[in-house]
Amino acid sequence: MKQENIRNFCIIAHIDHGKSTLADRILEKTGAIDKRELKDQMLDSMDLERERGITIKLNAVQLTYKLNDEEYYLHLIDTPGHVDFSYEVSRSLAACEGALLVVDAAQGIEAQTLANLYLALDNDLVVIPVINKIDLPSADVEAVIGELENIGFNRDEIVLTSAKTGVGIDELLETIINKIPCPKGNKNDKLKALIFDSLFDSYRGVITSIRVVDGEVKVGDNIRMMETGAVYDVVGLSINTPKEVKVNKLSSGEVGYLYASIKSISDVHVGDTITLDDDPASIKLPGYKEMKPMVYSGLYPIESNKFEDLREALQKLKLNDAALTFEPETSKALGFGFRCGFLGLLHMEIIEERIEREFGIDLIATSPSVIYQVELTDGSMILVDSPAKMPRREVISKTLEPYVKVSVFSPSEYIGPIMELCQNKRGSFIGVDYLDEKRVTVNYDIPLSEIVYDFFDKLKSFTKGYASFDYELIGYRESNLVKMDILLNGEVVDALSVIVHKDFAYPRGRAVTEKLKEIIPRQMFEVPIQAAIGQHVIARETIKALRKDVLAKCYGGDVTRKRKLLEKQKAGKKRMKQIGSVEVPQEAFLSILSSGDK
Amino acid sequence: MRDVRSCYIHIPFCNKICSYCDFCKIFYNEEIVDKYLDELEIEINDSYQGEVLDTIYIGGGTPSSLNNKQLNKLFSIINKLNKSKDIEFTIECNFDSIDYSKLDLFKSYGINRISFGLESIGKNNLEILDRDIDKNKVIDIINYCNKIGINNINVDLMYAIKNESIDDLIRDLEFIKSLNITHVSTYSLILEEHTKLYIEGYKYIDEEIDRKMYDLICDYLSDFDHYEISNFSKNSTYRSKHNMCYWKNLEYYGFGLGSSGYEGNIRYSKTRSITKYLNHDYMMDNSLEFLKTKDKINYEIILNLRTSDGINLESFKDKYSNDLDYYYKYDNLVDEGLLKLEDNRLFIPNDLWYISNSVIVKLLEGEVNG
Repeated sequence: MKQENIRNFCIIAHIDHGKSTLADRILEKTGAIDKRELKDQMLDSMDLERERGITIKLNAVQLTYKLNDEEYYLHLIDTPGHVDFSYEVSRSLAACEGALLVVDAAQGIEAQTLANLYLALDNDLVVIPVINKIDLPSADVEAVIGELENIGFNRDEIVLTSAKTGVGIDELLETIINKIPCPKGNKNDKLKALIFDSLFDSYRGVITSIRVVDGEVKVGDNIRMMETGAVYDVVGLSINTPKEVKVNKLSSGEVGYLYASIKSISDVHVGDTITLDDDPASIKLPGYKEMKPMVYSGLYPIESNKFEDLREALQKLKLNDAALTFEPETSKALGFGFRCGFLGLLHMEIIEERIEREFGIDLIATSPSVIYQVELTDGSMILVDSPAKMPRREVISKTLEPYVKVSVFSPSEYIGPIMELCQNKRGSFIGVDYLDEKRVTVNYDIPLSEIVYDFFDKLKSFTKGYASFDYELIGYRESNLVKMDILLNGEVVDALSVIVHKDFAYPRGRAVTEKLKEIIPRQMFEVPIQAAIGQHVIARETIKALRKDVLAKCYGGDVTRKRKLLEKQKAGKKRMKQIGSVEVPQEAFLSILSSGDK
Repeated sequence: MRDVRSCYIHIPFCNKICSYCDFCKIFYNEEIVDKYLDELEIEINDSYQGEVLDTIYIGGGTPSSLNNKQLNKLFSIINKLNKSKDIEFTIECNFDSIDYSKLDLFKSYGINRISFGLESIGKNNLEILDRDIDKNKVIDIINYCNKIGINNINVDLMYAIKNESIDDLIRDLEFIKSLNITHVSTYSLILEEHTKLYIEGYKYIDEEIDRKMYDLICDYLSDFDHYEISNFSKNSTYRSKHNMCYWKNLEYYGFGLGSSGYEGNIRYSKTRSITKYLNHDYMMDNSLEFLKTKDKINYEIILNLRTSDGINLESFKDKYSNDLDYYYKYDNLVDEGLLKLEDNRLFIPNDLWYISNSVIVKLLEGEVNG
């Protein structure tokens, strides 16, 4: 494969702007798959991805395309679109020389269009602007061209496509070949290959996705991971077309998979550089900026004997998700589990769902928390990522919480509701920018904990789904924070505690106790639910005792039915956690999130 | 292995269909009843293996809806069953269809217990249940039973019916107590699919009132032996031996349309289709339940715990070779007061009977050995 005929590129877009569909069409056009085989969104291989219609994990595929009698090799690296995954976007960008910036012809530029564009420019990628879905009746191509011109693109470099009908795909492929430079590395240099993804396969061990930057790697080579120092023999190399094709070597500029019977998950770090053990490169590739988790939550197996299984699941998931962090923690109420760090709420939901679905472990997730800074009276500063770690009030001199700069992109008619929402979320107004006369960016500084709570859902409902948003951490600010405990039957349930702003504690307490009353079924005795700050109870609800749970008649003919009924009742309790003498359903632990504020 | 000492015989005919009734029943028709009895005879001859029976229970439907000739035929069939010396021999009757001559006939065939469907004497209740009652006839019939020596009498009482007041219930209870009978079965109205009430969209009474009524009944009948969640006997000798057979998880024959039985390792139900039945096709499709030891144990627990006797831990061990706590641990539940352990019996205290399902589920959750 001639290095000058290789093009490595990715597709970046706001969620739902047709990135995966465009990828499918490119696969079809290059003959990688024929229409008959094409399942919607070929690159999204996890069930979860297809169901949610979003790309979670990266995928790389090699395509061939003939232009002017020259055969070109196009490596398409898929990227996730959601704000939570900007880290993974930057990972795939590092393996590319160019990016397609896809914008929906009906929706125009959105929050993550810009966020992703800036990431690509930071990585020195050549960006090709693409307006997709031009077939839509609601498409307004002229307006979107205008928007792209406003952010610095020329009208004549914009490619118009419809991934649905196939219009513009050939032109797009030619633009990729003409505009995106070939990889720069030197085939004769010492091997440097970037690990940009990895996954665990039960038969082959850890499989890494690599981009060879310099030199070449062959089956049988003795390789070394430069950061971890682990040494392995290469068992196999392959490329994805998107069928797996085994190859003997991968040379500079090429993208493929490498497996080496790696059983130890901790030997492989995404972002590490692979070199040859007996002829190593002297410096490793820059790798990635480490992404810091922003949201923490406790994950506990409902069945306490599944603790080790949960650890293994988290280790396997971390393999291609470096941003996920976890460490064991204990809760009085829930037993042994893990305090896990996530990039955001969606990241958290996806990890939870994958653990339940792929590893078959029923989970209880405690309400998410951000990292607070707490200054103690002795002058020292501690970090608190869980309400359980909040010190007693007497020893606290001040508390600080993380703030983010939120940019909300929206049609201008929703400025009012957006500002109202941001004010309610303790936001401070920064300004409004007009992208054009109909589209605005509303900027606010808002505590991250409010974003974690229900900002996204609220924003969608306040703007009929038209607004999108992006946020970046801007630092810590002092805030009057208190820990609110929830008591069931007089006992503090540590897993239900939350850290809240003092002025918002009362309505939150009311909302949470009301929600818990709805969720927790009647027990054999009356159960008081209280929200308290320290010793001070601020809200109270009571779950009345169960009064009747019996089949009043049970004679010969009813016996089988009776047994089935009780067995069903027993099965229904499997997803409940016994806390003290109270049986609490799984969803109660997240109720603190969904209990809308008053 | 097999140890059958009880027998249930179903007579699925009624003169009137009540709005709440989910039992297997069809309108009385003389010709069909005759055919049915012929078929019942064949069924019993085919299946009965000659055991000596301690209890026979003729239920319905309304067995008393049969005419005297048909009753004679029925008893002649039953006469072929071997009865123990102190057999409990029960027939269900409705006050509408009973008279002195039928009672005399029962007496002559050895019936020694009658269970009457009374349900209520309140106007509101009777209207909702689609029933009617003549209080004087009730008193008269029960007096006659006593006179001819059938003095083990049960009446059914239904409560928690829409719009029923506490006063209505007290009136019913007062009347029942005045009858000076030996047994009362009570049950709150249960809405079953395929009943008139269900189709008409009947809504349950509030759970609090239901519970209040149950507690009131227990209070009113406090001089009775409250030996099962819904059953009261004047003293322990008048407990229904036949129903105790169910709750002790003992085996029983089920004969007739829609009946259920338990023999050896099998629980079964008979067909509810009269056409199939009259065509010698007795079993209900897919109704055979083959019991493993663990299934039997689960039945044992679920059924025993309905009674004040509870689970006799010694008999349990005799029956299943291991102690109960080999299968289910219950110490914690005893500690919490959800179960009581006395004289080697494990039982649910009376005040938790009305939420006994929750207690039983908790016990089943303590499963240790499959």
